[in-house]
Amino acid sequence: MSEKILNKDQIGKFYNEFSDYNFYAPVNEKGNILFKKISNPDEIVLDFLNSKIPPKSVLFPNKEILFEYEYEGKDVIIKERDDLDEKYVLFGVRPCDAYSFQLMANFFSFHGNCEDEIYLKKKENTLIIGMGCNTPKQTCFCTSVGGNPFKKEDSDIFLVDLGEKYLVEAISDKGKELIQKMSWLADATNADKQKAKELAKKAEEMITTQIDAEKINNILDENFKHPIWKEVAESCVGCGTCAFLCPTCTCFDVIEEHDHYTNKGKRIRIWDTCQAPLYSMETSGHNPRPTKIERCRNRIMHKFSYYPKNYDLTGCVGCGRCVSYCPANNDLRSILKEIEQIES
Amino acid sequence: MGLEEDNKKIEESMRETARKLLEDKEVDAVIGYTEGTLPMSSMAMVITRAEDVDKLIWNNYCYINLATYLVPRIAQLVDPEKGDLKVGVISKGCVGRAIIHLKVEGQLNLDNVKIIGIPCNGIIDRKRIEKEIGQKEILEVSTSGNEIIVKGRDFEEKFAFDEYILNVCKQCKVKSPPNVDDACVGECQEIESVSDDYSDLAEFEALSAEEKWNHITELLEQCTKCHACREACPMCYCNLCFVDQNKPIWFGKTTDLSDIIVFHLIRSIHLVGRCVACGACTSVCPMGIDLNLLIRKVERIAKDRFDFTSGLSSKVMPPMMDFSMNDSQEFMLEED
Amino acid sequence: MTQTETKTESEEWTPKIIAFLCNWCSYAGADLAGVSRIQYPPNIRIVRVPCSGRVSPFFIIKSLMDGWDGVVISGCHPGDCHYISGNLVARRRFGIIRDVLEFFGIEPGRVNFMWASAAEGERFAVLIRKATKIIKELGPIKKF
Repeated sequence: MSEKILNKDQIGKFYNEFSDYNFYAPVNEKGNILFKKISNPDEIVLDFLNSKIPPKSVLFPNKEILFEYEYEGKDVIIKERDDLDEKYVLFGVRPCDAYSFQLMANFFSFHGNCEDEIYLKKKENTLIIGMGCNTPKQTCFCTSVGGNPFKKEDSDIFLVDLGEKYLVEAISDKGKELIQKMSWLADATNADKQKAKELAKKAEEMITTQIDAEKINNILDENFKHPIWKEVAESCVGCGTCAFLCPTCTCFDVIEEHDHYTNKGKRIRIWDTCQAPLYSMETSGHNPRPTKIERCRNRIMHKFSYYPKNYDLTGCVGCGRCVSYCPANNDLRSILKEIEQIES
Repeated sequence: MGLEEDNKKIEESMRETARKLLEDKEVDAVIGYTEGTLPMSSMAMVITRAEDVDKLIWNNYCYINLATYLVPRIAQLVDPEKGDLKVGVISKGCVGRAIIHLKVEGQLNLDNVKIIGIPCNGIIDRKRIEKEIGQKEILEVSTSGNEIIVKGRDFEEKFAFDEYILNVCKQCKVKSPPNVDDACVGECQEIESVSDDYSDLAEFEALSAEEKWNHITELLEQCTKCHACREACPMCYCNLCFVDQNKPIWFGKTTDLSDIIVFHLIRSIHLVGRCVACGACTSVCPMGIDLNLLIRKVERIAKDRFDFTSGLSSKVMPPMMDFSMNDSQEFMLEED
Repeated sequence: MTQTETKTESEEWTPKIIAFLCNWCSYAGADLAGVSRIQYPPNIRIVRVPCSGRVSPFFIIKSLMDGWDGVVISGCHPGDCHYISGNLVARRRFGIIRDVLEFFGIEPGRVNFMWASAAEGERFAVLIRKATKIIKELGPIKKF
């Protein structure tokens, strides 16, 4: 199917085509770009580097009710979620974040052995409209971990910002069907396609950080007790910012909010982080990861060693959020560089 | 004289002091700041050898309060056999105050800690600059004269230094650490008490209860409960924070507005008479929430009620560790 | 007749107030008020605590979050504490809790502190009347 052209002033019309979807798009809230459900296409921010909180927050929100329950005498009545059939569309997702959904889905299905119904159903009902990354940041390294600033495969529809207009390309069957219905979209000229290619090339050249994920995976295997971990954890303050802003971090805590006055309750999952001491605390009081050294190591081990072993993919998409927003400037890029230097 | 020359001078004397302490074996390790990998950042670093002192730097982006690494002590500052190492801490005013206050609370032994004092001239509010720049990438930031020059791919903007330092730094009265129990080397000062007028709070305090509530909720609503503010705070050293307690569960851990408000409310109560106004919480917040208002109020309560400023003396007991028959009780309900 | 009376009463909103009373003075004071048949508003629900020093900020804030319209905390007069200084420690704490709550926009009148000894049944009733009046004027607590 040929590429189409969407003028930036037609965004409103484009938005109207998705009337039966929950439309999530980047909005600017107090200077932070976040993915929010919008009701007015004027709210969409089109000119942004990347959102602060990754779009994982739509499918895997910081707080998600798993089910609600109510006591009736001695019986418990469980009210399951009834909103799982709702359809979502994510507009303006950067290729790194679009790729992250695949990594998250791997975790939530574990090769089909242990499926998280809520996440997978939501994912199935989600249409991802990706957007090429014209100006990757200095902190980005997606090309080293199986990504690319113009990687289209993970989106259903892929947009490339050509300045005044977008080049629209339908990737999946779902996307193709939708684009076909939008007959008002103009066809793209060869010049447009050429320009998109040039932008892609330029963007890729802008990414200067290169790491060797495979080599790191091999080195990590043998260096669980290497003194480098002490160095890595030195400046860490032990907050959870890296995990909270990471598009592939999936850990959660399940809590129960029970109201003793009405005898009703909810089971809720909230984001959790392996950087918190309580995360690995056992009931006996023993903590297998007692200090920041073990906790920092776990995060890197998980992304670059355990995840590849489980799913044959690196568990990082190279978006650079943890690099940019780490309160202590504990730079993942330089940590990985240092690990690469370890002689095996 | 410009900022850069000032900082260079401070940096040199700081390195000299650190080298001397390490060479004379007065301390086993020095914790300080080193060059960050991003614009407007710095990293904490532990050095143990005198030849490494040149890695230490000082500039206006050294926003982390190093006292947070002392309590609880990070493993890098503990010897497996000898126990706690003797540590020299590169201290701007608020780091020194934090160390002294932690000593008063019995959390650290001043025999093990040497305060290497440096006069701070204000920490740049990087979150505010990031917000002003918006959706453009900052590639290089430098200071020249009284200006902060921010450069990116196709822009260059200038900010006035006096305007774009942290709000708490604008009100700061303790630029270099107070000398208590002779634990301080380098630039220190004898300081008994400070006065402050809190006129910056007047506007907020004049609001009605409803307006205050709306203002605070709007300020905090983006909080993601990552607890970066708590972890970067030198005074938040509890083994188990009240939000993490689950026997019983007092307050929710979710990002509901009520849970966010209650976290910051109780944290504020816990910081009365303890907060050293370093502004680390504001500098580290990934969502760019400015906690200046809370810091200032917490300071003001301690000052107005108990005439106490934290971290200035090891003799005066902090208000929440002490009591007196003559405390004011104007808020008590009385018969008409 | 009595029934209609209660009905008209329940139509009008009255606050629900939780009261933390120290075991040695105020709880006995409330008891004395009861035994002496001194009337005070029935809006308070009493929780007996060993000492006003036992009342943590958690109690107060959790109560307000759970929808209590007001909180009353009462202990022994300064100098009379069964544990010598529990109420003095509490007094410092109450001052800052009140200031911080006010700062967050929660009306300070919702949280009332008072001293009442075991012999002051009359005073206890007067102060509870006063506290109830203050909280009633503030209206129902906002959901937070």
